[in-house]
Amino acid sequence: MTDISTPHDTAAPPKRRSRLMSTLAADRKAQAGLAVLVLFLLAGIFAPLLAQFDPNEMTLDMMGGLSWQHPLGTDDLGRDLLSRILYGTRVSLFIGFATVALALVIGVTLGLVAGYFGGWVDMVIMRYIDLQWAFPNFIIAVYLVAVFGTGLLNVIVAISLAFVDDFARIARSMTLTLREEQYIDAARVLGFSKARTLLIHVMPNAVAPIIVQATVSVSYAILGEASLSFLGLGVDANTPTWGLILADGRGFITRAWWLGVFPGLAIMLVVLSINFIGDWLRDALDVRQQV
Amino acid sequence: MASYILRRFIGSVVVMWAVATLVFFMLRLVPGDPIAAMLADAGGPEEMEAMHRRLGLDRALVVQYGIWFWNMLQGDLGSSIYGSRIPVTQIIVEAIPRTLSLSLLAFVIAMVIAVPAGILSATRRNTLTDNTVSFFAFLGLSMPDFWLAILLIIVFAANLQWLPAIGYTPIDEGLWEWFRHLILPAIAIGTAFSAIIARMIRSSLLEVLSSDYMRTARSKGLTPWMLMWGHALPNAMIPVITVMGIAFALLISGAVVVENVFAIKGLGRVLIEGILNRDYPVVQGAVLVVSAIFVFSNLLVDLLYGVIDPRIRLH
Amino acid sequence: MTTEDPKLRKRLRALWDEAHDFDPKDPLFGLTAKEMSGPKLSRRATLRLLAASGALTTAHLMPGGLAGPAQAAGAAGGTLTCGWAGVAEIVTLDPAKIDQVLQFQVTSNVLSGLMHIDSSLVAQGDLAESWTVSDDGLEYTFKLREGVTFHNGDPFTADDVLYTYERSSNPEISIHAGNLKNVASLEKLGDYEVKFTLKAPQASFLAKTLERASGRAMTIVSKRAIEEMGEANYGLMPVGTGPFKITDHVLGQGVTLEKFADYYDPERPKLDKIVIKPIDGVEPIAAALEAGDIQYIGGNPIASQLIDRFKENPDLVVDIKPAPGFQSVWMNPWRDPMKVTDFDRPMDELMEDKGFKVRLALAKALDRDTYVQQAHFGYAVPGYGSINPAMAFYYDEGIADKSQQAFDPEGAQKLLADAGFPGGEGFPELELITTPAGKRNGLVLANIYKQVLGITVNVTPKEFSVGIEDFNKMEFDMRLGGSGGDYDPDDGIVDWMITDSKFNGRTRDKEKYPFGYFSNAEADALISEQSVTADLETRKEMVQTANQITSDRVACGFLYHPVDVQVRHSSVNFPAESRIPGLHDFDRVTLG
Repeated sequence: MTDISTPHDTAAPPKRRSRLMSTLAADRKAQAGLAVLVLFLLAGIFAPLLAQFDPNEMTLDMMGGLSWQHPLGTDDLGRDLLSRILYGTRVSLFIGFATVALALVIGVTLGLVAGYFGGWVDMVIMRYIDLQWAFPNFIIAVYLVAVFGTGLLNVIVAISLAFVDDFARIARSMTLTLREEQYIDAARVLGFSKARTLLIHVMPNAVAPIIVQATVSVSYAILGEASLSFLGLGVDANTPTWGLILADGRGFITRAWWLGVFPGLAIMLVVLSINFIGDWLRDALDVRQQV
Repeated sequence: MASYILRRFIGSVVVMWAVATLVFFMLRLVPGDPIAAMLADAGGPEEMEAMHRRLGLDRALVVQYGIWFWNMLQGDLGSSIYGSRIPVTQIIVEAIPRTLSLSLLAFVIAMVIAVPAGILSATRRNTLTDNTVSFFAFLGLSMPDFWLAILLIIVFAANLQWLPAIGYTPIDEGLWEWFRHLILPAIAIGTAFSAIIARMIRSSLLEVLSSDYMRTARSKGLTPWMLMWGHALPNAMIPVITVMGIAFALLISGAVVVENVFAIKGLGRVLIEGILNRDYPVVQGAVLVVSAIFVFSNLLVDLLYGVIDPRIRLH
Repeated sequence: MTTEDPKLRKRLRALWDEAHDFDPKDPLFGLTAKEMSGPKLSRRATLRLLAASGALTTAHLMPGGLAGPAQAAGAAGGTLTCGWAGVAEIVTLDPAKIDQVLQFQVTSNVLSGLMHIDSSLVAQGDLAESWTVSDDGLEYTFKLREGVTFHNGDPFTADDVLYTYERSSNPEISIHAGNLKNVASLEKLGDYEVKFTLKAPQASFLAKTLERASGRAMTIVSKRAIEEMGEANYGLMPVGTGPFKITDHVLGQGVTLEKFADYYDPERPKLDKIVIKPIDGVEPIAAALEAGDIQYIGGNPIASQLIDRFKENPDLVVDIKPAPGFQSVWMNPWRDPMKVTDFDRPMDELMEDKGFKVRLALAKALDRDTYVQQAHFGYAVPGYGSINPAMAFYYDEGIADKSQQAFDPEGAQKLLADAGFPGGEGFPELELITTPAGKRNGLVLANIYKQVLGITVNVTPKEFSVGIEDFNKMEFDMRLGGSGGDYDPDDGIVDWMITDSKFNGRTRDKEKYPFGYFSNAEADALISEQSVTADLETRKEMVQTANQITSDRVACGFLYHPVDVQVRHSSVNFPAESRIPGLHDFDRVTLG
């Protein structure tokens, strides 16, 4: 299965930007997605200001229903659900972006190195990537967390390593295509170093599909973290995360339905808006869907 | 072609071996002694030692690996460390029909939803119908499967009490019982899957519908019904079929989470419980089987793709 | 288990005193060899033996023992479907491998032993028809019940007892081999006669070692079945001589028991079929019970938040009793800032120790009422020691006021300030290990520490296998855990509080850590002495003093005692004589 997707326009940045804006203007879903995502980002950043309660502060008002004081009710330990979800936003978004950033750096580096140098370097890297490719990302993350243990850092490392293969593959195939393009030859003729050629010429042209992949990956990472937390393999028990709130609330949902509904709604809204944005970027940057 | 298949097959086996080996050694770096847990209340240091000896956990790691590998070649994956030491092969053989039942039902449900939805939105492109389908597809993609599972349990098991909240009944104890237990988890897994397939059918169908070939067929005066089911859909399904490998991976990883919500002891639950309990042989066995499923379904899809698109074989 | 009726009280006291009226050095505990023999132990002999083995509680003395009121019997036949709570699969039913209560709750319906306790905790002959004990208390000769058959049709004979003994005493196969260490030999005297010879007199031999359920060491197994089926399959579907036979067992799905028509008592069992489904998760088991999918809950303790909900349901019967056990916050005395390397110093000297101040502050800060309310929805009893309320007579009603550990927020804050952490400032973040299921309790605890002392305790749920290893090695800051099945003071103080107890840092590095979590010479001496002290009041005093020492010197922060809850559908007639604590014996159960 080839996964090459060549951007047809290797045009200058300004033109690309205008295309981005023009497609956005016509894409309601993307607009809504951006708006919701920005809202969640702000909520995460200003969580300490917005939350009326300490997310871990317990009261004897256990499983209290929706009220003015607790708009989303309280959980089984009398903690304010809204405050917990607000703080959970920080963890989810941070993990979403941090893992993808890490995976991007590692994956793209591996892919560029493999594609550009070829030979045995390429072979070694690609054998590893193939190995990882045989598994769904989530399964790999489960294996890795099982080995590293739980905790914020371990979860980030596990999820990002699980995504490395996606980025490496795209970066490598882009490099292979672009290597043959004339301007690389020109750069070589001009005597630029390999590293400089990679950075200045190959990278920017590989960017479009990587942006799309990165966007989609953020949503997968958020889902992945929530799933891991839900299975008890996530961030530690003292940090409110959406997956964990759902897992902890499971034993109480018939008496407190809000525990089973709102955290999941938060996950879904964020993932949905990122998917809308990803869809828009894919159209705007003219990247065909990766499989 | 034969040599290509052989080469790919050997490659797949090597991938599996590498994964199994990696997992074997990585698991042993993890803290946690299952023997201590088993004897927490029952035995002293002597019993503990006897048990370690019996399970071969006192030997060098390399020796343990050698023994495990040799036994594995003979189809013996060892036994669970806990309880009556049920052979891993037996645990997995019992788990496979559950995961398979679940995936199959999820697949069927997904298809039943996805095919009409895909057709509808392709034939009524950019109408309200199309937008609605597309919106629900996005929703399905964005909904965490375990959350959907919880919502289904709240509504259909806890409140309406129509369906059991957890568990599995094999099909030979009655089709209805089997179905009753699987329907909720199957919906939980199948929803994301159906969203993907519906979107794929839509775009693939749009491509086919605008092709010259269809224009010719239409000019021959075929009815829209025949056009769709006799010509457009079969062609549009080709690219859909070729991504079934990925689709299958999606179903299995969905099953890993959802089996845990519904306490169905399929491969996913075997894997997660094995990891949580540090039951080495079980984790190794589960990893091997899950890997095999992925690796060989990938291989199958590649070969299938080769059949459909002969150019691929050259690579 | 206290009673307000003074007459009853007096009678119970008389029974109690009578049971304990023996010289502990006497191998027969004041009983004649004849009294100890029998087709059935006399009530007096049983109580005496229980007292001598340290297993007697006032609960045994109540008329009808621990049983509830009798109920109208239903008709024979029918299928009972049970949910086994808090477990995803019943991994073994092989008595040699059983390590969980929820497992022997099943086998007690399938397998037999030579003896079985009844609802008054009196040991009755099961496969033993009668027995005699030699005058020195070392030889037990059993006449076995004749005409008993295994589920596979084989006759039960003395050879089966010998085979079970041989198998169970092999530590490579059985995890209960230790229970048979006191047996010197087992001889076959005839097809239906066997003789055990002990190395030393052992009061608990009949009621504990030979007991079919909780004993597990001498639960009779079938040699032919094990050989034919293999160890693993036998472990799933053991063949025995009990009232029900296992006809199906699929891991993660359930166990099916069917009436064994050739059971030696033609009156039992009443039910035709029992289906036992392991049901993991709180909501699922509640939903299953309310929807009528199951009619009875066994297995692990029921989640506290469900109790009120079940009580409100007119279709359900909820029966609550104190459970014999305790749960504590264990604090590693080898780690700063709660480091104490010598618990033997005089109390006022100990009070000067910074590490001890911290320990005491952590114990005093335990707001147990809030904890019980929040973590267990009120269904637990605040605890201050390892002696639990189910031990009635030994339980010190006043310990809540007397113990240094009594909740005292100002005192705790002052101690912490004296130790150099005013308002919790500069106090390191400690890690509290719980099981995944105990995480919620841990969070409640951490919150109490935050509120009272201003310190941060991070809850780390670890799988039991991982957490127990840290605990045994003394590699932890704090751990939330404790004990169950403690019927006698020995279970609480001998098992947990003496220096060489079986839990006190069992696999620790003995060079680095001379003892585990606690060691006090005075407590050791008292605890060893009380277990051989016959005089009731003296023993009680010793037990309570030892208990107070462990509490005052903060062996751990004692937290609560659990309760035992039975829930069943009202159509299930569970006769009082079958309500054996910790067990679910269905042989007399009917549906009506």
